[in-house]
Amino acid sequence: MSASSLRSFEYLEGLPGTTFNRLYKQPSTALAIFRRMLPHLAKSFVMALLYISHPMPVTDLEAWVRPDGRRERDNAVNLLERLHILAAATNPGKPRAYALTNPFAASLRLALTGGGNHHSFGVPYSTSEEDTMSITDLDEFARRQWEGVLGYMVGSTGMNIASEGVTLSQGVKILLASGRLVEARGKTVDITKDGFAFILQEVNAQVWTMLILYLQNAESLNMDEVDVLAFLFMLGSLELGLPYSKANLTQTQANMLEDLGDFGIVYQASPDSSYFYPTRLATTLTSDAGGLRSSSFASPADNNRGFIVIETNYRVYAYTSSNLQIAILQLFARLITRYPNMVAGKVTRESIRRAVSMGITSDQIISYLTTHAHPQMAKNQPVLPPTVVDQIRLWQLEGDRMKATVGFLFKDFNSQAEFQAPCRYAEEIGVLVWKHEGQRKFFVTRHEQVAAYLRNKSGKGG
Amino acid sequence: MNAVDGSDHYNKTSDEPPPSLLTIILDTNAHAWALLAPTLPLSAAIANLLVFINAHLAFNNSNKVAIIASHTQRAEFLYPIPSEDDSRQANGSTHNGAQNGLDGDMNMTDGNEANYAATADDANHYRPFRHIQTTLLSAMSKLYKTTSPESLTPTTSIAGALTLALTYINKQSIAFSTTTSSKTNADPLLAPSDPNSIQPATLNPRILILSVSGDLAHQYIPIMNTIFACQRLTIPIDICKIAGDSVFLQQASDATHGTYIALTHPRGLLQYLMLGFLPDQSSRKYLVPPTAVGVDFRAACFCHRKVVDVGFVCSICLSIFCSPPEGAVCLTCGTYLQLGEYGGKPAVVAKRKKKRKKGADE
Repeated sequence: MSASSLRSFEYLEGLPGTTFNRLYKQPSTALAIFRRMLPHLAKSFVMALLYISHPMPVTDLEAWVRPDGRRERDNAVNLLERLHILAAATNPGKPRAYALTNPFAASLRLALTGGGNHHSFGVPYSTSEEDTMSITDLDEFARRQWEGVLGYMVGSTGMNIASEGVTLSQGVKILLASGRLVEARGKTVDITKDGFAFILQEVNAQVWTMLILYLQNAESLNMDEVDVLAFLFMLGSLELGLPYSKANLTQTQANMLEDLGDFGIVYQASPDSSYFYPTRLATTLTSDAGGLRSSSFASPADNNRGFIVIETNYRVYAYTSSNLQIAILQLFARLITRYPNMVAGKVTRESIRRAVSMGITSDQIISYLTTHAHPQMAKNQPVLPPTVVDQIRLWQLEGDRMKATVGFLFKDFNSQAEFQAPCRYAEEIGVLVWKHEGQRKFFVTRHEQVAAYLRNKSGKGG
Repeated sequence: MNAVDGSDHYNKTSDEPPPSLLTIILDTNAHAWALLAPTLPLSAAIANLLVFINAHLAFNNSNKVAIIASHTQRAEFLYPIPSEDDSRQANGSTHNGAQNGLDGDMNMTDGNEANYAATADDANHYRPFRHIQTTLLSAMSKLYKTTSPESLTPTTSIAGALTLALTYINKQSIAFSTTTSSKTNADPLLAPSDPNSIQPATLNPRILILSVSGDLAHQYIPIMNTIFACQRLTIPIDICKIAGDSVFLQQASDATHGTYIALTHPRGLLQYLMLGFLPDQSSRKYLVPPTAVGVDFRAACFCHRKVVDVGFVCSICLSIFCSPPEGAVCLTCGTYLQLGEYGGKPAVVAKRKKKRKKGADE
C-alpha cells in the first residue's frame, strides 16, 4: 500500500482517462501498474474478475469481503476506479456490477498467458562475448552515475565531494532545476527544501521522483507522455544483465535512452550502439519495497548493508567512507571524528533544528536512520532507540506547530442527518481529515467521490 | 502487551505484505486424469495452472513458486528442478562435492541462472513467466516418459510430495531470513513455533494440492504427520479437489485453516483458482473464505488402513484399530489392553436411575 501512497504516483492518478486507455494497451504497462500501484486486496479483486465471463454484482463483491475489512475494500475499489481499471456498470433490469475495463483486462491477460505481437517486454539482443557487461559492472556504473547526481545536489552544503569523474549533462542539471530540487545561483547551485526531502528518500523513490519530473518535462521536449511511460514500465520488466535491442523503439524512446543513461538507469556503450543494458535501477522500478530491500545498492563494497549505529545517548557511528553518505549524514548530525572506514558524531538539538530549518522533517530523518541501520541495530525491536526517535520529533515540534493539508471544506448542511451521511462516507473512503459536528463542517483531501455521493443522494431525493 | 510503555508507534510496521511462497502439489495420477479427460484433460489443467502461477508471481516481485508432482509411486520437483550440474559435482569430484554435498544438499536452479539460454527469446512474454512455462512443461513430459506401465497404480504419493514441500519451504524460509539480514543469529527453525517472537520479514508459505485421486487411507499416518507439521508451522494447506473424494485432505485444510473446494464444474478450474486460491494469507484476512460445509473427521485404522466411524483406541499411544487387536496387545506400543466386558449389554442405566431416586428420597 505504501507504493500507491507515494507522492509521485499522484501524478499518474491525475492523468486523463484517454491516456490510461492508451497506456493499458501495452501488456507490460498493465502488469507493472498491477504489480506496483495496487494495494494487496485490490490485486485479489482484479485477479478474481480477470477471467470471469460476466460482471460481478456489487453485492457479491461486498459479500466476499469480511465486515471488518470494509474500509480496505472501499479503498481498494476506489483506487481501482481512479486508475480506470474497474468500472461499475448499471444495466437496466440488472443489479449494479463491477467489471474490469477493457484495454487493461485484455493486456493483463496477454501478459499472463504470453502471445500477441506487442514486443512490450523488450527484444533481447545477442552480443559477442567480449562486449557483455557483467552485473557488477552495471551496478558500479549505475551507482557512480546516481551518486554523481546526488553529489551534485549535495555539493553545495559545504562538503567537498570528489565527483569521481562523473560529468553531468546539461539536461540533468536543467531537470533538477526545473523540478525545484536545486536552485542555480550563478555558478553555484543551492539545494532546496524539496531537494533535501529527495535526498533522504530510498533509492527507488528517488528514481521515481526523478522520472516523474522527466515526464512532466517531456511535453516541453516534444515527447509523447504515453510513449515515455510505456517505455519506463517496459524497463521495469527487463532482465538485469542482458542486452536489449534498440530496433523496436520509437524515436522518442531512443532519445530517452540517452537521458536515462545520464542517471545510470540504462547503460549503452555509445549513443549509436544498437543495444542497451538496463541497470538495477531500471529493473527494480516496478518491484515493491520488499524486493528492493534485498537487491538495492548504495555502496558496492558492503552490499548496501546498513551502516549507521545510533545509541541512546544520541551518538551516531556510521561505517562508511563514501563522501556522499557522510555529506547526507552531516545534514542532521554533528560529525566529530572521521576514521578511514567510519565517522562518529552526535545528533544534537542544534543539528536537528538546522535540518528542520532547511526543510527536512523529523520523519524523513527517522526513516533514513531506520532504512540505513546497521545489521546489528536492525535486530533490535524497535530498530531505533525510542528516546532518540521521540527527541528528534520533539525538537522538530518546537519549531512548527501547524500542519497544512490541501483539501476541500464542505459546509452549510441543512440538517444533522444530511451532514452525517456524507461525512461518514468520507471517513469510510479515507479522505476525511477533520469534522465539526456542531457547525456541520467537514474537511476532505479529495472531493470527487464525496461530491458524486452528494449528487447521487440529491438526485434520489428530488 | 507493550501497550503500557507505548512503544507501538516506534515499530515502523511495513504495510507492504511479505512475499509469499506458493508450493503447488499436482496430483499426476495417470488413471484419474484419464477418467477426467472428457471434462478436463491434463493439458488444459496445466495450461490453467500456468496462468494461475503467473498471476501469483504478478502479485509481488518477490513471490516464489514451487511445483511438485505427486506421481503414482514417487514425488518429484517439477519447478524448480534440481540442477544436474550439482548432482554431477557431488557424485564425481569430491573436491567440489565437499562444498555442496556435505549435508547431501542439492542446489535448485531458479529463474536467474544459466537455464535462460535454453528458453527461446520472445519479446511478447514476460521472461520469468516464460521460464516457468518451459521448465514445467519439459519436466512434465520427462516425468511421463520415465513412467513405466508397471508402475501405474491408481494411487498417488501425496505424503511424499507434502514432505518434499515442507523441506523446500523450510529451506526457502532460511534463505529468505538470511538475505533480508534482519535476523542473522536467530535460528529460523525455532522461530515459527514460537508465537511470541516478532519476525520483521518472513516468507509467507502456503501449500496448494490439486488432487484428483480418491482415498489415501494407506498413507494415513505420514499424511497426518505432515498435516501436524504444517499446523505447527502455520502453513495453510489449500485443497482443490478436482475429482474423487478423500477424507484426509479435508482434515488437512481444516486443521491448517486452509481452503477446501471440491469442484462441481472441473472445466472452470481457472476461475476457481483465481477466486479461491490466489489470495494469500495477508488478503485472506479481509476475505470470506469459500466454506467447506462439513468436514469428515473420520480416521483410518492402524491395522488395516480402513476408514472407520467407530473404532478402538489404545489408551496409551492413541493408536486406532478397527477391531480389537490380536491378543489384546496394541500393535504400535505393545501395551496389553484390558478390553473389560467388551460386547456386554450396558444394562446398568436403569439400575443407576433407581439408586439416584433412592438417594433423593433419603
